[in-house]
Amino acid sequence: MLFLLPQAIDHAARNCPEREAVRFAGQGLSYVELTQRANGLAHILREHGARRGDRVGIFMNKSLDTAVALYGIMKAGCAYVPLDPFAPVARIAYVMRDCGIRHLVTTDLKLEQTNLLAEDTGELHYLIGVTEQEGFTCLSWETVYAAKIDAAPEVALTEQDLAYILYTSGSTGTPKGIMHTHRSGLSFALWAAETYGLVPHDRVSNHAPLHFDLSTFDFFATAVAGATTVIIPEAITKFPASLAKLMQDEQISVWYSVPFALIQLLERASLEKGDLSALRWVLFAGEVFPTKHLRHLLAALPQARFSNLYGPTETNVCTYYHVTALPEDSDEPIPIGKPCANLEALIVDAEDNVVAPGTPGELLMRGGVVMLGYWGRPDLNERGFFRRKMFGGHYEHLFYRTGDLVEQMPDGNLKYLGRKDRQIKTRGYRVELDEVEVALLSHEGVEEAAVFPVPDGQGSNLIEAAVTAKEGITLTEELLINHVAVRLPSYAVPAKVRVLATFPRTSTGKINRRELQAQAIAEAEARLSG
Amino acid sequence: MNHETILLEYIKQELLRGRKSDLKVEDDLLSNGIIDSLGILQLVAFIEERFHIQVPDEDVVFENFQSVKVLSDYLAKF
Repeated sequence: MLFLLPQAIDHAARNCPEREAVRFAGQGLSYVELTQRANGLAHILREHGARRGDRVGIFMNKSLDTAVALYGIMKAGCAYVPLDPFAPVARIAYVMRDCGIRHLVTTDLKLEQTNLLAEDTGELHYLIGVTEQEGFTCLSWETVYAAKIDAAPEVALTEQDLAYILYTSGSTGTPKGIMHTHRSGLSFALWAAETYGLVPHDRVSNHAPLHFDLSTFDFFATAVAGATTVIIPEAITKFPASLAKLMQDEQISVWYSVPFALIQLLERASLEKGDLSALRWVLFAGEVFPTKHLRHLLAALPQARFSNLYGPTETNVCTYYHVTALPEDSDEPIPIGKPCANLEALIVDAEDNVVAPGTPGELLMRGGVVMLGYWGRPDLNERGFFRRKMFGGHYEHLFYRTGDLVEQMPDGNLKYLGRKDRQIKTRGYRVELDEVEVALLSHEGVEEAAVFPVPDGQGSNLIEAAVTAKEGITLTEELLINHVAVRLPSYAVPAKVRVLATFPRTSTGKINRRELQAQAIAEAEARLSG
Repeated sequence: MNHETILLEYIKQELLRGRKSDLKVEDDLLSNGIIDSLGILQLVAFIEERFHIQVPDEDVVFENFQSVKVLSDYLAKF
């Protein structure tokens, strides 16, 4: 019975031991090798005090060891917490403090940053993947791999135990941890493997970073099918021509990424010239795919099928839409589709009453894929869920509030309309504009700050900002950008910061962000057309 | 100014925005997240405008952008 995520690789190791589980830069690990190494890591973690439910950080660039880390941590009964290897140290340290990380799986290559992190995170004691470092108990990867261990440590776990925590932008100025269980992760993986018909000879791309929820498909749906995950090095993801070559060389059959990566491939990698005949599914999520680009993509890859997956990190994926032919005469965005199996969707108005089909409302979701909650945030957990009374109040169903506004179309598909709050997407990354404002306001010279999205002409958004200075203080764009660049991940740093003498105001005296945004959009359009 | 100096200044000013002011020509630009995919696009646009050249799409590959030094060597071919 499959009820824990790492059982997927154990099954594959029994059924197809020699098949490659993961590949990276031309090298691979078979399912047996991956399982033995993950078992080794799990034993080492247990021997050094890691216990059921403990949070273990992963801090490294992608490699074959990354896959070992994911499974080894879960096999120890712990939850893995992927830390963005390129985020500012202050942000990573916050995440480590927030969820109390004592064990970090990392590499010697990250020692410089790990030392900086350690100054800010008193609880960190164990570095796995590091040869030697004063002040820590260190265990090298050689030690982890020395023993080929056929069985994981015995830890009694249920499907409701924590499997991983993904941190995402938080509107109060600090990231929040989204807790997923084996059940929520596996519910998604099983659905995805079946829906996209994954089979053992599939080669599935891993383009997304580990701290981004798309990666759970790449690893777990693939493992459920006993197929191969092709981990793409971060450096290659930045170069469309290199990426297209890798897709061809590695015979990728299932691709999954944000639309931005696919648009880049389309515009800069002459996709139609290469041999991508192995590619049978192109999946995308994270943002609306602009229809005019999608039409070109369909034409460039006539052998592939296309699917739009939708869902906030809190729900893995909760609706999907297989793209068929697109109309020639309309750039109307494609729908987000219908709920996945084993999910119930509600569309409600501001009073939480279910609306009639065709009426806009907030999308609520209930089912196996929904997160357990936010780590250490009872306030958010209270607000984030809707308790729907059932059977005359004898029972309650718990629905996650997505914050996304949708409407049901006559064919039953859901159409995405926008957000209820100030969360935006920039090239697939989710950013709370309030978090960026808090970062700007943390500069002592800033009186007020306003942050807003500006369309980038590529189907996504750039973040721009405006500030006013405290009396007697002179601020510059460079100063402010440098200030936030050490607090926020690079994708959340505003592309432009205007320093204004005063802000436009609404009739009630609030900052008129709409007016600021309209000015910025007009300037951006002038730049693009000029 | 030679290619190396111009590129180094541009990357420090426009792409790093003060995060690493001691960047050197041989430093790895890719494996530590110094430049993201948007940064590559900006860098290519800058090179084309500043040096009056057209960088073909098939040359925008990680082998040519690993460090300022490697990139300068590539640009010397024009």
